[in-house]
Amino acid sequence: MTTQENNDDRIALLQGTLDVLILKTLLMGPCHGQGVARLIQRQSEEVFLVDHGSLYLALQRLEDRKWISAKWGVSENNRKARFYSLTAKGREQLVAKTSEWRRLTRAMGLILDASKGPQNEEA
Amino acid sequence: MFWRKRSAEDFSEEIKAHLELETDELKREGLGEDEARWKARRVFGSVRAAQERFYLKDRLVWLDNLLHDVQFALRQMGRSPGFAITAVSILALGIAANVIVFGVLQTIILQPIDVPQPDRVVTFSQRNHGYPAFSYPEVRDVRDGSTVFSAVGAESMSVFGLEVNGSTQPVWGEEVSGQYFEAVAIQPSLGRLLTRADDDHPGASQAAVLSWPAWKSRFGADPNVVGKTVRINKHSYTIVGVTQEGFNGTWKFLQPELFVPMANQASLDGVNWLENRLDKHVFPIARIKDGIAQPQVQAELNTIAARIARQNPREEDGLHFWLAPPGLAGDFIARPARRFLAGTMLLAGIVLLAACANLGGLFAARTADRTREIAIRLAVGSSRWRVVRQILIEAFLISMLGGACACGLSWLALTGLARWHPPTDYPIKFLVYPKPSLILMAFLVSVLAGVLFGLMPLRQIFNTDPIEAIKGGGNQSAAGRRWALRDVLLTVQIALCCVTVTAAFVSLRGLRNTLTMDLGINPKDAVLTKFDLSPAGYTAQAAEQLQRQLQETVSHIPGVEAAAYANTTPLADTVTTAVYSQQTTDFRPSKKAFEAYYYTVSPGYFAAAQTPLLEGRDIRTTDTATTPKVAVVSQEFARQLFHTEHAVGRSFKNSSGQSIQIIGIAAEGKYFLPSEEPDEAVFFPIQQRPSASVSLIVRTRPDVTGGSAAEMATTIRKTIHGLDPAIPIELSAPWTSALAFSFFPAQVATVALGLFGAFGLLLSITGTFGLASYTVSKRLRELSIRVALGARAKQVLSAALGRMLTLLTSGALAGMLLGVATSKVLSAIVYQASAQDPVVLAAVAGTILLTGAISVAGPVRRALRVNPAKLLRED
Repeated sequence: MTTQENNDDRIALLQGTLDVLILKTLLMGPCHGQGVARLIQRQSEEVFLVDHGSLYLALQRLEDRKWISAKWGVSENNRKARFYSLTAKGREQLVAKTSEWRRLTRAMGLILDASKGPQNEEA
Repeated sequence: MFWRKRSAEDFSEEIKAHLELETDELKREGLGEDEARWKARRVFGSVRAAQERFYLKDRLVWLDNLLHDVQFALRQMGRSPGFAITAVSILALGIAANVIVFGVLQTIILQPIDVPQPDRVVTFSQRNHGYPAFSYPEVRDVRDGSTVFSAVGAESMSVFGLEVNGSTQPVWGEEVSGQYFEAVAIQPSLGRLLTRADDDHPGASQAAVLSWPAWKSRFGADPNVVGKTVRINKHSYTIVGVTQEGFNGTWKFLQPELFVPMANQASLDGVNWLENRLDKHVFPIARIKDGIAQPQVQAELNTIAARIARQNPREEDGLHFWLAPPGLAGDFIARPARRFLAGTMLLAGIVLLAACANLGGLFAARTADRTREIAIRLAVGSSRWRVVRQILIEAFLISMLGGACACGLSWLALTGLARWHPPTDYPIKFLVYPKPSLILMAFLVSVLAGVLFGLMPLRQIFNTDPIEAIKGGGNQSAAGRRWALRDVLLTVQIALCCVTVTAAFVSLRGLRNTLTMDLGINPKDAVLTKFDLSPAGYTAQAAEQLQRQLQETVSHIPGVEAAAYANTTPLADTVTTAVYSQQTTDFRPSKKAFEAYYYTVSPGYFAAAQTPLLEGRDIRTTDTATTPKVAVVSQEFARQLFHTEHAVGRSFKNSSGQSIQIIGIAAEGKYFLPSEEPDEAVFFPIQQRPSASVSLIVRTRPDVTGGSAAEMATTIRKTIHGLDPAIPIELSAPWTSALAFSFFPAQVATVALGLFGAFGLLLSITGTFGLASYTVSKRLRELSIRVALGARAKQVLSAALGRMLTLLTSGALAGMLLGVATSKVLSAIVYQASAQDPVVLAAVAGTILLTGAISVAGPVRRALRVNPAKLLRED
């Protein structure tokens, strides 16, 4: 299933999450935009097909907030590319956002798994 | 590398790079070159959209759109420069008219005089809305007996002979009392101002203060002017200071140059009126203490007035002090000035409305021409609101440009007006220098105008059906349609212009009436020379002798038909005196019969002035100070006192109780204003009441060389200086030009209204022409079909322009009715004429017809020359 249609939906879904994904991806080292897109695709086992337009805008946003820094460079096959790397601030944000995300998913899980009724209260 | 904002090109570069990298990767995965490239693009999504979102990310969308619209509007205007220039000029003139009138209104009426805390400064008048002149003892009584004023001063304007470095010039100045400068509370810019000590008693001080403009112009802004000695009316005075810049006395339009202590009045004027309760020469000016309200002040003044009347029953019976704002002689001048300016503002507003109607019509026509463009816009997704905004921005652009031009025009006009000196020897100047608040006013008016005519095409835009419009190719006019907005606008415009044209003709008629009316004197071929002997140091006797000698000498100059002199002449300075009936025994002011204009004349006056003596005799040399008191009176005087014009031999009494016998009746004349009703006047022999200041009237025989009035004026000047070079001559000119000032209001009104009328006419011509050509051009196809089918010229014309003629006539009729209805307003501006005058109506109707004919001439020719074959072939 391609997630290319319905741009609006995707933006709404991924505005916050796309940032986290990008930051995480860059944790492993500087990368250019196309590389980030491929990495996210691969690592999510093809669940996330990133809209490249939104990706670049997200990258610009992160750059404006100084969570990542960018520089023009040369790729492996001698192509010109703009490389992004994580800043110290970005690293902090990644930690913060990751724990936030984990809290969110845990809460979701608790509610969704609570189909057995209120008696079943586990810590 | 550090850059503040990333450029759009850089972003596009990155996208390009991305696509390359993606293509490479896809090739590695096994796709062919073209397939990889295509897939890379498709997977990316819309590059355009991404670029647009990047571009819009940081921008204020609304500002962007606005700038875009403005650029578009400018381009549109550039494409039709004729329209743009016409529109901007029309609007500029309309707005400028309003701004100029408002500027004058603001300076003359709205703003108080330029002193600290002006709301605390007041003057008094004798009657409600009366002339604020009092006698000095009355003002002194208020000063000594009041508790509500911090200072009570008095001023009296006069002309002085100022001798600086050996040359004497007539200079207007004020005699002021000791508390005058305390009342106005200004600071000196050099030296000191006059104080109570200077005014303590006659001769206490020989100090004089200069006004700041006088210091600049007469003394060259000499920083060492303090301590300089000058001679004023041949008395030695020392300049002790200069008033602050911006202080122009307590009158809105008179600028005194000199201030001297009032206590020295007798020595300066040659005649003592200071202590006389009946001589009302003085204008009071007072400052109310902080915290005291006007009603309280008025109450105290009433008490004081009653007390003065009780203590001086003979002279002060019926005394009243009414509070009034200073600057415009209380309400005496303020009232007519207010009405005149209000009337002019109304006319200016009408002109602006007409201009807006004109522009609105033009705009509506242009929009109709752009239906195709609008339709396409709507079809590709623009909202109607966006289109309306575009039109509005065009309108605002024009109105802002018009407003800017108007600012420039108003600045020029107001500065010119401020520098101009009316044709009179009074130091009148209207200091209407332009102020920044006028820019604000111009801006507001421009915005209003822009909105008004910009919104005209609104309905059109909202009713445009894109499909129909594109199909129809922009030709939307159908015969027999209902009245369009354009038609209504034209009618409104014609009506408004009609009003201004009516006003112009009314004022022209009024001026003509004023100029041809019977003044009671004949100023043609006569010379008026005014001079004052007291500044030259003459005693009363010496003055009398010189005057008689002068009359003799002048009578013998070749070209002189008659010569005589008087203390003053009709329609110049006026003095009045109280007249009591013969039977009166109680000579309190309230018991008088009336006040009459007062003239003291030499024998031969009536012949020189050519005032007909209807009955009785002229003043003779045998009427001297020792013979019985006699006088010549005007017809109205006789009518008022005796209810008949045949009053020769009867008597009346003056305020001193003396009996005066009437020896002659003079014909009706104008004494104060050309527009007044017949008034009472009395002419005394000058030997029985000598005057140091006289006006010499010389009647010339124009057919003799040197006998023209202008040449004679110079001759007389030389003659007087031949007798004594030290006599300051105030004025020596043909009597007609000396009288020019009396006609000055009528002339100003005519010029102003004439300008408005001309502008209104111009507007109606352009409006009519515009609409006529537009109508004809739109209906050329229809007209050509009619011609092809055999219509004759008359039928073609009636089809093309019949409707327009209806509009024109209805507009003109409406306008004339409006003009008649507003004649009351017009009479505030111009007297002696009304809009109901049949001559005026005929003139207006004729003018409208003529301009209508001129305007439609062009389009009519075009309609008649239509070539059906050629036209029907084109689309």
